[in-house]
Amino acid sequence: MGTVNITINDKQIKAQLGSSVLSAAAKNGIHIPALCDNELLDAKNGAACRICVVEIDGRKTLSPSCATAVSEGMGIRTDTDRVIKTRKMLLELIIANHPLDCDTCEKNNRCALQTYCSDYGVEDSRFAGGETKNYAPDTSNKFYDYDANKCILCGNCTRVCGELQVNGAIGRAGRGFETRVAAAFDESLDKSVCVSCGNCVSACPVDALLPKPKGKRRSSETGKVKTTCPYCGVGCQMNLIIDDNHVIDVEPVNGLANRGLLCVKGKFGMEFIDKPDRLTVPLIKRNGEFVESTWEQALSLIADKITDVRDKHGADAIAGLSSARVTNEENYLFQKFIRMLGTNNVDHCARLCHASTVTGLGTTLGSGAMTNSNAEILGADVILVSGSNTTKTHPVLGSFMKQAQTRGAKLIVIEPRRIELAQTADVFLQINPGTNVAVYNAMMHVIIEEGLQDKNYIAQKTENYDALKALVAQCPPEIAAKICDVHADDIRAAARLYASADKAGIFYSMGVTQHTSGTDGVKSVSNLALLCGNVGIESGGVNPLRGQNNVQGACDIGALPNVFTGYQKVTDEQARAKFSKAWGAKLSDKNGLTLTEIIRKSGEGDIKFLYIMGENPMVSDPDLNHVEQALNDSEFIVVQDIFMTETTAFADVILPATSFAEKDGTFTNTERRVQRVRKAIEPIGQSKADWQIIMALMSKMGLAQTYNHPNEIMDEICQLTPLYGGISFERIEDEGLQWPCPDASHPGTKYLHKDKIARGKGLFAPAPYVPSDELPDSEYPFYFSTGRILYHYHTATMTKRVEGIRKMFPKSFVQIHPKDADKLSIRNGDKLIVASRRGEVTTTAKVTDMVKQGLLFMPFHFADGPANMLTNPALDPVAKIPELKVCAAKIKKVSQT
Amino acid sequence: MDVVTSLNNMTFYKKQRRIALRNCGVIDPENIDEYIAFDGYKALATVFEQLSPDQVIDNVKQSGLRGRGGGGFPTGRKWELASAKQSDIKYVICNADEGDPGAFMDRSILEGDPHSVIEAMTICGYAIGANEGKIYIRAEYPLAIHRLERAIADAREYGFIGKNCNGNGFDFDIEIKYGAGSFVCGEETALIRSMEGERGEPTMRPPYPADEGYWGKPTNVNNVETFANIPSIILNGAKWFADIGTDKSKGTKVFSLAGKVNNVGLIEVPMGITLREVIYDIGGGIAGGKAFKAVQTGGPSGGCLTADDLNTPIDYENLLAVGSMMGSGGMIVMDESDCMVDFAKFYMEFLVEESCGKCTPCREGTKRLHELLAKITQGEAALKDLQTIRQLCEVVKDSSLCGLGQTAPNPVLSTMTKFSKEYLAHITDHKCPAGKCTALLRFSVDEGNCTGCTLCKKACPTQAITGEVKQVHYIEQSKCIRCDACYKVCKFDAIIKK
Amino acid sequence: MTGCTKNKNQLLYDELAHFIADLPERKGALISVLHKAQSIFGYLPREVQEFVAGQLKIPVSKVYGVVEFYAFFTMKPKGQIPISICLGTACFIKGAKDVLSELKQILSIDVGEVTPDGRFSIDTLRCVGTCAMAPVIMIDEKVYGNVERKDVKKIIREHQ
Ligand SMILES: Nc1nc2c(c(=O)[nH]1)N[C@H]1C(S)=C(S)[C@@H](COP(=O)(O)OP(=O)(O)OC[C@H]3O[C@@H](n4cnc5c(=O)[nH]c(N)nc54)[C@H](O)[C@@H]3O)O[C@H]1N2
Ligand SMILES: Nc1nc2c(c(=O)[nH]1)N[C@H]1C(S)=C(S)[C@@H](COP(=O)(O)OP(=O)(O)OC[C@H]3O[C@@H](n4cnc5c(=O)[nH]c(N)nc54)[C@H](O)[C@@H]3O)O[C@H]1N2
Ligand SMILES: Cc1cc2nc3c(=O)[nH]c(=O)nc-3n(C[C@H](O)[C@H](O)[C@H](O)COP(=O)(O)O)c2cc1C
Ligand code: SF4
Ligand code: SF4
Ligand code: SF4
Ligand code: SF4
Ligand code: SF4
Ligand code: FES
Ligand code: FES
Ligand SMILES: [Mo]
Repeated sequence: MGTVNITINDKQIKAQLGSSVLSAAAKNGIHIPALCDNELLDAKNGAACRICVVEIDGRKTLSPSCATAVSEGMGIRTDTDRVIKTRKMLLELIIANHPLDCDTCEKNNRCALQTYCSDYGVEDSRFAGGETKNYAPDTSNKFYDYDANKCILCGNCTRVCGELQVNGAIGRAGRGFETRVAAAFDESLDKSVCVSCGNCVSACPVDALLPKPKGKRRSSETGKVKTTCPYCGVGCQMNLIIDDNHVIDVEPVNGLANRGLLCVKGKFGMEFIDKPDRLTVPLIKRNGEFVESTWEQALSLIADKITDVRDKHGADAIAGLSSARVTNEENYLFQKFIRMLGTNNVDHCARLCHASTVTGLGTTLGSGAMTNSNAEILGADVILVSGSNTTKTHPVLGSFMKQAQTRGAKLIVIEPRRIELAQTADVFLQINPGTNVAVYNAMMHVIIEEGLQDKNYIAQKTENYDALKALVAQCPPEIAAKICDVHADDIRAAARLYASADKAGIFYSMGVTQHTSGTDGVKSVSNLALLCGNVGIESGGVNPLRGQNNVQGACDIGALPNVFTGYQKVTDEQARAKFSKAWGAKLSDKNGLTLTEIIRKSGEGDIKFLYIMGENPMVSDPDLNHVEQALNDSEFIVVQDIFMTETTAFADVILPATSFAEKDGTFTNTERRVQRVRKAIEPIGQSKADWQIIMALMSKMGLAQTYNHPNEIMDEICQLTPLYGGISFERIEDEGLQWPCPDASHPGTKYLHKDKIARGKGLFAPAPYVPSDELPDSEYPFYFSTGRILYHYHTATMTKRVEGIRKMFPKSFVQIHPKDADKLSIRNGDKLIVASRRGEVTTTAKVTDMVKQGLLFMPFHFADGPANMLTNPALDPVAKIPELKVCAAKIKKVSQT
Repeated sequence: MDVVTSLNNMTFYKKQRRIALRNCGVIDPENIDEYIAFDGYKALATVFEQLSPDQVIDNVKQSGLRGRGGGGFPTGRKWELASAKQSDIKYVICNADEGDPGAFMDRSILEGDPHSVIEAMTICGYAIGANEGKIYIRAEYPLAIHRLERAIADAREYGFIGKNCNGNGFDFDIEIKYGAGSFVCGEETALIRSMEGERGEPTMRPPYPADEGYWGKPTNVNNVETFANIPSIILNGAKWFADIGTDKSKGTKVFSLAGKVNNVGLIEVPMGITLREVIYDIGGGIAGGKAFKAVQTGGPSGGCLTADDLNTPIDYENLLAVGSMMGSGGMIVMDESDCMVDFAKFYMEFLVEESCGKCTPCREGTKRLHELLAKITQGEAALKDLQTIRQLCEVVKDSSLCGLGQTAPNPVLSTMTKFSKEYLAHITDHKCPAGKCTALLRFSVDEGNCTGCTLCKKACPTQAITGEVKQVHYIEQSKCIRCDACYKVCKFDAIIKK
Repeated sequence: MTGCTKNKNQLLYDELAHFIADLPERKGALISVLHKAQSIFGYLPREVQEFVAGQLKIPVSKVYGVVEFYAFFTMKPKGQIPISICLGTACFIKGAKDVLSELKQILSIDVGEVTPDGRFSIDTLRCVGTCAMAPVIMIDEKVYGNVERKDVKKIIREHQ
């Protein structure tokens, strides 16, 4: 971008064209006060506080420097009497209507208003004694409080909520002196649509919006550490605010992945870090009881056991579950360890998640990752969301989609539930669960029938088109309409809308993958995108939204039974030779077992030693009765976690790991961006970082590893992994890099398949619709599906330890359509028994027309009343992913509330 | 008391030069044929047949026409800016919000000659390359809305607007958007937000509407009266128009003359006419034989002028030079019984209510100015408050976001400058020379008029009034809180306020 | 809404829904829709605002913020005979405040309130463009000009 010459206070300065006077001044060490300036927001709508005014030559009145763009030859003065007098007067005006009780204020010492009043020597106001506002503080939100009396109406919060979060929970009400920030009808925030993202809170310069005090008053922060969110795959960048080895607050960072936003879990969900019930010492089970041990004892016990098993039963009697929650470096060491033992029996929760993406997109495109980047959502013309409850499970991306909508993008939603995005969608297809393939084939039928496909693209970049054409020719929308229970015309509308866009991105997640037809579902999505030439373009693509903070990384780094790092096949001789040499060990040439197989075989006795790092299968795996049986029957289990979980109960040894806040490393987010995780506090108790634990264990077993810091592990990864070849801690210090990044000069890859589809040509992989393994029948008349809610994360080990979340969602529930509820005289809050062929759970009814009639939907977060008691372990034949999204169930009312 | 059922029966025209009002009261505004008979839509035809868009703009530039909405920005230049922007969509907006409380120029034009505005907007659309016109009109003008709707429908039927208007391959249609009772929505950026269905909070300029206006597209905003001049300019030529008026202010200006003059109503006068001519020759002097005290021009953004200013020839520059402004054309005349502090307070109260509340100086500052003025009218102010007021006025003017705040202090500053003695009388002598500020008055009983009806005694909240039935009553000054209750209930004009 | 006949309220909502359905463009139509809604319901209660938000697919807080911003919109029902008094400059100069206080006293209500019998309500306006007849009172479309204090009683009686 060009530069312009300006003068600020007689100083000649070169400033970036397009930058504001305020930021140009700041870059040159000239500080201008600002209360409402916010780099994330459109300056045009701001410029409200006026504290940043400066004199600009030739302008009659003062100009707000935050919203005035520099221009060639501009002469600016920031410190004249006129400017100073104005600022003082503005501060006087503000504090005349502000309870200036800084000494007892939560914001004391980090309040912008307080700072400026002291900078400008404004202690009291000549206007004191006039009318002031007098509102009741609103403490109804579980995470933050709002005190309208402290509000200075800078407008940041409402703009963030409206423009960025695109939620509109709060807005401005009244006008003039009566103006205030308020939820609709001035009701308390808990009655509003607020999703507690806290982005407004982070933007408030004063104490008007502040996280609920958590016992400690934050007098002065002692440190601020930038890191990556440990929850979902968006990979939000954040600062942890540290005081006395405690994480006391979180601020969003304007990173490339999240553009300055966080969701409730990132902002308010860090309480778990220093909960007293964190695991702090190794525990060994003696006579059914866990007793504390030293690290030495625990590791020796494990090492002996492994050696014993390997010697007696061979390496394939050993298996490990790695973790999408821990760092790349830790996953690398884990799979390296398991593989150096001589087996490939290593897998992780990706199996339950996007295994079908890896098989599906691997086949059609040659790479199973999200093709495009998070922020590219903002530029899409059409967004197709299918089987992803984006605003709840990838909340920041959900907001990006809504931002795109405000800019005119059209939205298609294909879902069995009227999720939030469906409410503002241009086309919403409320399909029966398990019918994705049918609906996609019908859409492709319409596109080809109407000649809307991208013929050039098909000719140049794809193969096997004729086979697809032949298949979908037999799938008119009328047939799909019956299968899916939607209108054929709506399918047509969706098809036309999708095909009409220049840049259309498809975003999908578990609603597509977690089926026995998961691989076919993914292939169909890919077929559709290829048909319209949407692969390999900006803001388009096929975008599997990866779930866990580091599930992409765990896959990339080889925590899978069939590949080393970077998807190098264990069955490939050359690859094996490379790793064998680098690691100095003989490696197995046989694909290992998958997660589901490992659990089963542990129970059957084939696996004698199971090492579970950072997973909680006793809640997250399907058909828990079977899982329980398997774990019970297992010979020896090590669980390495940060908390006692439902799974640790089955362990022989529990190892206390540190949380993300206590260690260094990297996570790879859904958009393939490798980002830093930074140590913010010292480990709690005797807990150790996962990489240190594995390293110690390996050393114990004579597989000595000598890494001083995770960056050394990353260097090793990069040497062995072309995909990550150019990544180093140094390069990702400020912003992460997106793979493929083959060498140190490569800038990373924003979107895949740009010049050429990774596998050469995009493969059309026609797939006919196959019904789900288990469908409703007269005995089990309901569809039963499972998934997530915004506030909880998976097995809730972390989120249930956050007070606000626990209060909001303490126990399990099942969503049921009002008409279904009516038929069974079920009312909201009634206690129900939900049963499938595999078990039953007692839970609470949530009557809502969000679910399709005939469908029950249950979040799987709650160990008490766990959804997985009911789910069907039937597997997709290729990906081995269980059908967590469809089975048949029945319900019975237990009691009324 | 007069009762009228129609808002349109004002017939008050005198020594005036009528261009913008040329058809008002002359033709039936609901009959397009009458408009056509008076050369209506002829300018549009001329434009289509004879002039390129640039030539139209050039004509308007040459005429010297300046915006009648208050700012006085040269209309031709504005069109030129919008025309220069490349965009698939552009808009022409007619600002018919007429927020100035005490002015009704635009209402009269829209009610009396709606087609002239429609014709002009279409010409503007042609000139700048816009195909959509919007009229933002205040909801308080139901008759004007009705006439406009009718006129738009007729114009569309006659093919003057709509697809391929006049058969010239040019599309232009007009839609009406409604205000909802907010003064600041007359400000162009607030108006645009309001048209977009938002709270009428102004936004930073730049970007100006010509660059990023309605839905972010280049937009030309002009006032009703500005538009009403256009057809005549096209038909009679730029020079004809430029020959009327003063050096920098061309043509005529419509004023709504109201307040204490004998003849109130709408007038259209050539620029350069003096205030004296307007008030005395046209307005017929001060009503009720009272003495002239001041005249406010420019509404809440303007200032007041005194007898010393009466010989000022009215144009944009001169009015500014004497401490007021042209504004949109409100002209309120005050006599000796009007208190200028009270008057300034009235405008400030209006502005406190109408401030959108977005920016600090205007939201907080107008409130404090109002409180300080109230303090003066209550007799509770000290001299140092005058200094505070002045300083506050400067800051509000200098740092507010939009024109509302930037001009809000004007009525205070101009009255403070021109009537400083009156301010001082309130502060130091605790007297309201005009007898308006109740708190500073002494209430007493006119023994001659008092019938001893006891109404006042009953009304007094502090029992300050004594007296038997049918006896003259008496007000005990130490108990009187000057609440005006007695004065209000007395039916015999027996309470004296002084 | 029970039985086979729609109740009156439902008909009003239907009317509003039709108006919205017929809009050429929903984007930016909020203020037009609120005008229509207020003309149908007489005021804009919470439920109506929620309905509008749902139809236009915009946040309720935004609808509320707009309703709160514009003086024309009200969340309180008006009297059967809504009396509006102009407090514009011309009317102010001509003594509108006196007329207003008379009005308030006679009806024993404040601006924005309704008499207990639901008959009258008082609102203030800023210039209805009939400044030549200042001060003015408006009842429906009928304008009373040059009103003096003593006229107020008469005007009210006319409507009693
Ligand atoms: N708050 C929160 N966020 C999370 C997580 C969490 O636990 N909590 N977990 C993270 C992880 S690991 C993952 S994998 C992601 C998952 O993210 P999502 O996939 O978005 O989450 P789910 O709730 O499992 O399922 C998404 C939707 O699929 C729909 N669905 C069910 N069956 C079908 C079907 O047959 N077809 C279609 N089209 N849709 C169907 C459901 O109605 C549901 O709304 O979320 C990540 N983010
Ligand atoms: N019914 C149903 N079941 C499902 C799904 C569904 O949609 N429906 N979704 C499936 C999907 S997509 C997924 S991804 C899985 C997730 O299943 P899991 O991975 O089993 O679930 P989490 O709760 O994330 O478990 C992670 C564990 O890691 C621990 N942990 C956190 N941080 C660290 C750390 O730094 N070190 C160590 N050592 N441990 C740590 C946590 O305390 C927790 O116990 O669930 C699956 N199960
Ligand atoms: C507070 C405020 C209120 C305004 N009200 C009006 C108005 O009611 N009518 C109007 O035409 N212009 C009004 N304006 C001026 C407009 O912003 C704009 O300059 C004008 O409509 C441009 O038209 P013109 O160039 O033809 O005058 C107002 C400006 C401000 C700052
Ligand atoms: S918000 Fe800031 S200025 Fe206000 S009391 Fe708290 S610390 Fe002081
Ligand atoms: S927490 Fe988020 S959703 Fe709630 S008001 Fe703030 S920005 Fe809006
Ligand atoms: S609550 Fe805070 S962020 Fe919101 S307007 Fe008030 S001061 Fe600004
Ligand atoms: S969106 Fe995901 S990564 Fe971002 S803050 Fe929320 S949970 Fe964390
Ligand atoms: S000056 Fe007043 S009206 Fe204008 S933006 Fe500021 S607060 Fe709003
Ligand atoms: S920081 Fe510039 S106006 Fe507030
Ligand atoms: S000021 Fe009252 S009608 Fe104009
Ligand atoms: Mo997942």
